[in-house]
Formats: sequence, C-alpha cells, structure tokens
Amino acid sequence: MWAYFKFEFFQFIRNKKNIAIYVILLYFACYYALKIVPTYNPIEKVDVSEIEARYLPRAEFLKNVEIDKGTHYLTSYAVAIFSEWNEYDKARLDALKKHNMKEYAEATSKWYKYSDEMIFPDVMNVFYYNPGYYTYGNNYAKKDGHYAYLYSASRYKGYTEGKSNLSINVFEERTALQTLQRLLDSYLPLILIVSCILFTVDIVLKDRRNPTLLQGLPLSDWRKLIIKGLVSLLGSLIAIIPLSIGLLIIGGRNGFGAFDLPVPIYSFGKDLFSNILMWDYLVQNMLFIVFWFLFIISLLLLVSVLLKNEFVNLLVGSMFVIAEFIYFERGLGAVRNIQWYPTSYVQVGQVISGYRNYLYGSEALTFGSGLTVMGLCTCIFLFFTFLISNQKKFKLL
Amino acid sequence: MWKILKTFFVIEKSNKKNIFSCLFVAVFVFSLIFFLKNMDIGNSIKEKSDEYQSISTALGKFQNIDATDSGNGSDLYKNLVRQQQAVSKQKMALKMNLPKVFLDTAIDLANLRAKAFDMEGFDDVAIYLPSKIDNQLDSVFYQYIKKIGMPLSIDSLSYFQFLPYLFGVLGSFWFIFMSIYSCGIMIEEFQHTSLIKGYPITFDKYVLAKCISSMLIVGVFLLELFVCSLPLIYFKGLGNPSYPIAIFNGIFEVYPIYQYIGISILYMICISIFTILLSIILNVLLKNMYLTLFLELLLYIFPMLFPNMISLVPFNPFNYLNFPNLLNGQMIEFAKPVVLTSTHGLIYIGMSITIMIVSVKLFLTTGRLKKV
Repeated sequence: MWAYFKFEFFQFIRNKKNIAIYVILLYFACYYALKIVPTYNPIEKVDVSEIEARYLPRAEFLKNVEIDKGTHYLTSYAVAIFSEWNEYDKARLDALKKHNMKEYAEATSKWYKYSDEMIFPDVMNVFYYNPGYYTYGNNYAKKDGHYAYLYSASRYKGYTEGKSNLSINVFEERTALQTLQRLLDSYLPLILIVSCILFTVDIVLKDRRNPTLLQGLPLSDWRKLIIKGLVSLLGSLIAIIPLSIGLLIIGGRNGFGAFDLPVPIYSFGKDLFSNILMWDYLVQNMLFIVFWFLFIISLLLLVSVLLKNEFVNLLVGSMFVIAEFIYFERGLGAVRNIQWYPTSYVQVGQVISGYRNYLYGSEALTFGSGLTVMGLCTCIFLFFTFLISNQKKFKLL
Repeated sequence: MWKILKTFFVIEKSNKKNIFSCLFVAVFVFSLIFFLKNMDIGNSIKEKSDEYQSISTALGKFQNIDATDSGNGSDLYKNLVRQQQAVSKQKMALKMNLPKVFLDTAIDLANLRAKAFDMEGFDDVAIYLPSKIDNQLDSVFYQYIKKIGMPLSIDSLSYFQFLPYLFGVLGSFWFIFMSIYSCGIMIEEFQHTSLIKGYPITFDKYVLAKCISSMLIVGVFLLELFVCSLPLIYFKGLGNPSYPIAIFNGIFEVYPIYQYIGISILYMICISIFTILLSIILNVLLKNMYLTLFLELLLYIFPMLFPNMISLVPFNPFNYLNFPNLLNGQMIEFAKPVVLTSTHGLIYIGMSITIMIVSVKLFLTTGRLKKV
C-alpha cells in the first residue's frame, strides 16, 4: 500500500497540470505581496488629522456654548455627549504625540465603544460612522459601520491586555499575520478550495491512459481510491508552501506580527465581540480548510466513479464553491436553516470570526456546526463511493 | 466531409460533457433569476434611497451653510444640495406615480452631476457619487426616453428586460466558460492517433469538422438561454423588446434591447470560434488540456493585471473578450488614450480567427499528433 502511495504521489508531483497550479499560486502570492499589499488602505486608520478635524471644532463649541432656557434640545444633547467623546479623542491625540502605543490603544478602544453607543441607536441621522462605509451603492453602510466599530473596540482592548509589541502597522492590520487573517476573511479559502478541486479532478481518471499498467496491482478499487484521495489531500496541503512565500515578503516589509495578537470574534446573540489569540484563529482556520479539502476530495471521488468524466468533475466541484452566491442574502438566517447547507461555510475565515453570522442574522454558523456538517457530508460521500466501488460489476476505469 | 460530420454528431450527442454543460447553462439562468429576485434589483425606490444616503454623506464633509445662489457656500456644495433635492423629488415622484416628474428630474440630476465633475474639490466626494461614465449613460438613456415618449419600465424581471441582463452577466464569463468547455477538444483524439490517421481526409478539414460540430453545441447553449428564460413570460410578462439600453460605442448612444442582444450573440459566437481555435492550437502545442486552460485564462486576465498594456497593444483581441464591460464603457476608465469600441473588438477578434485558421492550415498536420 505504501508503495502504491509513493507511486501515486510521484505521478501527482510530475503531473504538468499540478506543477502549473503551484507555479500560478506562487506567481499570484508574489504579485499580491508586491503589488496589492502596498495599496491596502484601511478605513479605520491611525490618522492625527482625522482626529483633529473632529476634536478641535467640538472643543471650540464646548468652550463657547451657553445653555439657558431657550437652547435648542439638540444643542444641549451635543453638550451632554461631546465632553466625554472629546476626552477620548484628546487622550488619543496626546498618546500619539508621546508615541505611547498602549495609551493610544486604551483610549481608542473606549472611543470606538462610545462612538458606536452614540451612532447606532441614532434615528435622527445626525451622526454617521466613518464616511468610508457610505460608498455609492452600499445599502448597509450603517450595519457595516456598526460591525467595524465594535470590532475595532474589541481589537484595541485586546492590544492593551496583550504583551505583544505595538506599532502603527499592527494598529492598521498591515503585518504579515494580520494580512493572512484578512485574507482568510476574504478570498484565500476560495483559492485553496479551487486549487484542491483542480488537483483532484483527474486523479482517478488519469489512469485511463494506461489501464494495463494498473490491472496487475494486488489492491482493491476502494483502497486505490482512498490512496488517491490521500495523495490529493497531501498535494492540496503542499499548495500552502508557494503561498507562504508571499507571506515572507510581506513580513520582510511590514513586520510579521505576533501569534498572541488578538482576533475579535463576533457572537450574534449578545451582539458582542470577544478576543481569541492569533494562533488559535489560524489553527481553527487550518482545521476547517482541511475539512473542506476532505469534503471536496470525497465528493470528486464519488463523481469520478459515478460519471467518469473530468469535465463533469470540474463543473460539480465549482458548483459547490459558487452555490452560496446564488442564495446569499443579508438576514436570510432568520427564515431559513442555512447552517445545514455545507456551501454556507465556504468563507471559512468569516464563519470563524462570526462575520457570516452577522450577515446572515443567525447564530448557528459556528466552527463546531461547520465541522459537523462537512464531516457528515464527507462520510456520506465516502460511504456511497465504498458501495459503488465494491459492486461486482464495477470497473474503476 | 459530410461523413465525418455525421460521425462527430453521433459522438457529441452522447457525450457526458455536453449534457452536463447544457445542464450547467440552465442552472445558471435559473440561479440568475433567483439572484435578481433576492437582490431586488430594479427596485427604483430602494435605489433612490441609497443615492440619498450617499449624497448626505458627501454633504457631511461640508459645513452647513447657505446653499442659495447668493449664499457663501462653494459651488460644489450648492451643486450637491441641489442633487439631494433632485433625488428626494424622484423618490416622491415614484411613490406618487408621476413618471413625467421622475423623468424630468432624472435629466436635471444628470446635468447637475455632469457639472459637478469639473468643480474644485470633487475628488474628495467622488466615491459617494456615480462615475462620469455611469452618469453619461444615465443622461443618454433618460433623454432618449423623453424624446420618444416611452413609458419607463421598472420591472427588471420581465422577459425582454431580463435577457440583456443575462447576456451582460454571462458575457463576462463566456470566454472562461468556453475555455473550460473546449480546453480538451483535441486531447481525446491524441489518445487514439491511429483513428485520425485512418480518416481519408486532411487534418485541416478534420479541424474544420470538429469546429462545426462544437459550434452547433454552442448554438444549442445560446438557444437554451432563450428557452430557459421563457417561464418569466408567464410570471412577469413579455416586456418591451425595443426598450432602450444606454451603451458606449465610441460615443454614448442607446440601443434597443433586440439590437443589444444581437450584438451580444454575435460577440459570443465570435468568442466561441476564437476559443475553440485557440484551444486546438494550444492542444497541439502543449498536449495537455489543463495547461491549455491555464494559459488561456492567464492571457484573459493579463490585460486586467497590467492595464497599461491595453493602451500599448490595443489590437490584442484579449482586451475585447469581456464585451459587456466594453459596452458599458468601463474599459475607457483605465485605458485613457485608446477608446476601445465594440466594432473594433469584432474586427480584431475576426482577424485573429483568420490568422489562426491560416496557421492551422499551414503548420498543423497529422504528423504532429503523437500519443500523449
């Protein structure tokens, strides 16, 4: 069995298609690190002029305002809330002048929390979140701002409690590990899953070209299939190596960050964030992605023995990746049990950080439920593959 | 020739690849219908509310001051305030069902926006407003509607309103879909070279027959798009086939829906022939279907990764493969010096097809086919 594994693995590594995928991944990792990362422009920046533009007029207003009987109620309201708001802004400015990152983090955390408490319940539309959210065509700007402010509050709180080195790059999430975290929250899982599909798509059917070679092997079809699955799992995991080159480049430029940086996790029921550590977040992501690999591989093994066509493998695999775009809608979780569709978990990082729950308006999309659903589907696919491959009439090729 | 075509038809008819591609196209059409329904696209009241919100944010960047003509606000500020008023008026016109007021205000709004682009400080508020090209398309569209006195349609899911949307979305993916479909077109023949060598015809005739049979399948795909959308007639009505769509083709103009669909189909057929020929050539050169696929996709995204290349090599047919982007003017946003028009696109793609046919005839022979 080990010999067959080695034989399959060498075939896998020498396959022109697989080499091409590794090269393309390496190219995109470098392109991303060199071209796209420097243009990253976060909405929540460390920006003295932005704080001053808000702080100075309010300070001036507080200094000159006179409250009496005839004062408009909004003016009294402004006096009531601006004094506390400005305290935090002043603390932020002072900390930046002194280059005291810890103090800045503490004041900023309070500032975000207080700002969100003021802006989110405001129905008169006198306060807005950072204008970066209100772009043309964004219907959910206020909800985006709410999430981002709570997220930032929790993140900065984590910085004050942690022991890692703080810098502007850390605050703006530019270090290598934080870039990885942001990527896991966006399209990196999709890239890995698509690579896995491309690796697995011909692993069974390539033997059609030399059927006589394999006929003499003293292995059952089921075992052959399992070994092929393991080979493509290993191959898909190797895809991380070319991608990590990009990470090294970013690390060299912006610093690597630390494994004990906080990553805020959203829980829907309480509308609250809690922090976990970076290494914890990365391990959870890794585990989840391995489950996705297993899911895709078992699915494609089943389709391979059922329909025996590479093109069909490719279509079925990609359908599972894009299916979520068809039914995705904000707040859908309240009306439908989306946690039972394996495709709802395709944005791995967002599921773990709770952002998917926030979008769906559900609390059921969690790490645990994801692993259960994916694991269950994998077992079902493998079971059917087992049944089919053990039929007497069955021929692998 | 006829005999080999007949053989191909028999093979293609039972090919799992074709059956699944047809299924995929059908699933795509139905999912797009659901997507449109979910996203509530074409709901004008909702769109106008969002516009109102964006303009309010843009105005948040200014101090509240007198915005009348004699006021001391900047030109841009006064312009934005007037835009906000226009959007509110449109919202009201929609609620009170006053299409004429809506139309007039839409034209006023487009004019206001056109003036704003040259004003001082516009770059700071640019992200809250539609782009120059979108605004020009809007302007042309509403002016045309007003000129011929057509009623405004807001139901994006009636049959004829849906079709241009479908072709627009599918058109962006068409090259990708076709390259996935055709990337292995010659590989199966390589596995049994003796089969081809046995046919008493030349290699270029063989390729021609292969192209014709594949193009017939493409025809089936295109037909499927119309057939699968038919249920919309029952649910949402037929719509108006001569309803205008604003497009960019060197100048801003409007096409009726049937003309837009016609151009899309023409483009899709050209792209299909182009892709099939490219796949045949790359198959013979690389002898691997996945390498063919990757190379085709790389060539496709190359102009997007390096936008400067578009102005440097305007005759590169790959600039034109995403034709919906071409028609709605998005290509001129980053290719300033060259104006890419859809007519040029057809010419360049047609020329590339001719070049490929000639090279297939001159350079590719059965001798090149070896077992892979």
